[in-house]
Amino acid sequence: MRVDVQGLTVRYGSVTAVDDMSFSLSGNKIYGLLGRNGSGKTSLMSALAGYRKPAGSVLLDGEPVFENAAAMRQVCLVRHMSDAAGKGDKVSHVLEYGAAWRDTWDNAYALELTDLLGISLKTKVGALSLGQGSALGVVVGLASRSPLTMLDESHVGMDTPTRYAFYDALLNDFMAHPRTIIISTHLIEELASLLEEVVIIDSGRLVLQEEADVLRSRGTEVTGNASDVDEFTLGLTVLGEKSLGRTKAAMVYGTLDDSQLIRARQLGLELGPIALQDLFVHLTEPVGGKR
Amino acid sequence: MKVFRHLTTTLVAYGAIVAACVFLAVLAATFTLSLFADIVFSGWMMVSVQIARWFVLWVGVYVIHNVLPIAIAHGRTRREFLAAATGFSAVFAVAMSVLAWLGFLVEDSVYDVMGWRNHPHGSLLAYTLMFAVWCGVGMFVTAAFDRWGYGGALTLPVGLALVAVPGITMPGTDDLPVFRDAPELLGEGWHVVSVFAWMITMALTWAVARAMPVRTRT
Repeated sequence: MRVDVQGLTVRYGSVTAVDDMSFSLSGNKIYGLLGRNGSGKTSLMSALAGYRKPAGSVLLDGEPVFENAAAMRQVCLVRHMSDAAGKGDKVSHVLEYGAAWRDTWDNAYALELTDLLGISLKTKVGALSLGQGSALGVVVGLASRSPLTMLDESHVGMDTPTRYAFYDALLNDFMAHPRTIIISTHLIEELASLLEEVVIIDSGRLVLQEEADVLRSRGTEVTGNASDVDEFTLGLTVLGEKSLGRTKAAMVYGTLDDSQLIRARQLGLELGPIALQDLFVHLTEPVGGKR
Repeated sequence: MKVFRHLTTTLVAYGAIVAACVFLAVLAATFTLSLFADIVFSGWMMVSVQIARWFVLWVGVYVIHNVLPIAIAHGRTRREFLAAATGFSAVFAVAMSVLAWLGFLVEDSVYDVMGWRNHPHGSLLAYTLMFAVWCGVGMFVTAAFDRWGYGGALTLPVGLALVAVPGITMPGTDDLPVFRDAPELLGEGWHVVSVFAWMITMALTWAVARAMPVRTRT
């Protein structure tokens, strides 16, 4: 499903959560929506899901989403469980809601996921732990099989084995049923290998939209003798440094040209990719007290 | 239709279970009371008027506050939901008034057998309209609070005015102290006023909830 956002603004009183944002997603990819706390991720996804009336334009496959029944059928946003179920509802009721109200719902898959993620069907939603509630959100999101599925920090509270089971289920389901999936997360490195494209927002504005591999190529980790590394990185944008004895590793932002690559080889420096998470931190770093 | 079916089947069934339990409790309380005093009023009438309408109002609150966000989260529009909720408020009101009447049938028989004095009770239509308006006001006021937070309190006077309308002619209530003569002047035509009150509650609910955001809950 294609997503087109044009001049989107979301305000809460005097606070502007999303500020005149415009971008397009071509669809059928796993997108990472990255941003610091309060950057506007949830507000943006809420507008994409028709949870709130947008100021600006939000189009899904060319159709406005807000109060458009045909478009709403194609979207599933899971912010956490309280949207998709009441706290007094049993988990089995949540699946019944999905089965009753969603044409694309796959109940057999939902049952499989609840079993995989260790959620009892008889437990009330309000009695689930934070991690179990998040896992139930993943069940609702993936089993909806919605052409636009959005998972907002669905990892919150999950233990490591459950998170890994979630990532495996996400990838397998995407391979079997390709669709547009948008995931917001703070555990960027854990999900980095799944993300095909990254949208970074900060203070309600779009910072960058890039293929994940292209973004990774924008940064390089330079490792070698400390003095050689210092000489090589002089004049470059250094995101961070680590030293161990005489060995130093520096993270450099920006594409290296041929002459720089030759010089690195001459100095015997090792060049490698840097983590998406480090690039994200750099790109959203406050500058002069402002981001 | 799916939303309507869900609301109707779950909440009418729930209402029936609650009504049956309350009826048995009232009957038990009446028998207990009869050991110490003469029974001179209908316990079920007091419950069906004074308590049942608050239960119906709570159902209206529940429908908008709890079920509407769930429906949107499962891909339904507010328009679809509100259409279903409007139909539901009417069906639920009919169901609750039928339950109230079934209670009166049983209670009247018991009172006859026991030789207890009873009071007249409102008509099926009067109960239906009272429940419909109270359910609608529950939806309207809740939509206002959910949309505007504490600003929703501004709708309370409107809600109070609307719920007063259908209760005026109902035995067991003392609504509308200022215009006491109005219902007598209009006679059965007062029900038309009640129908308008219900239509106003639903129109107001639509107006408020049509663009209501689904907020993040904790």
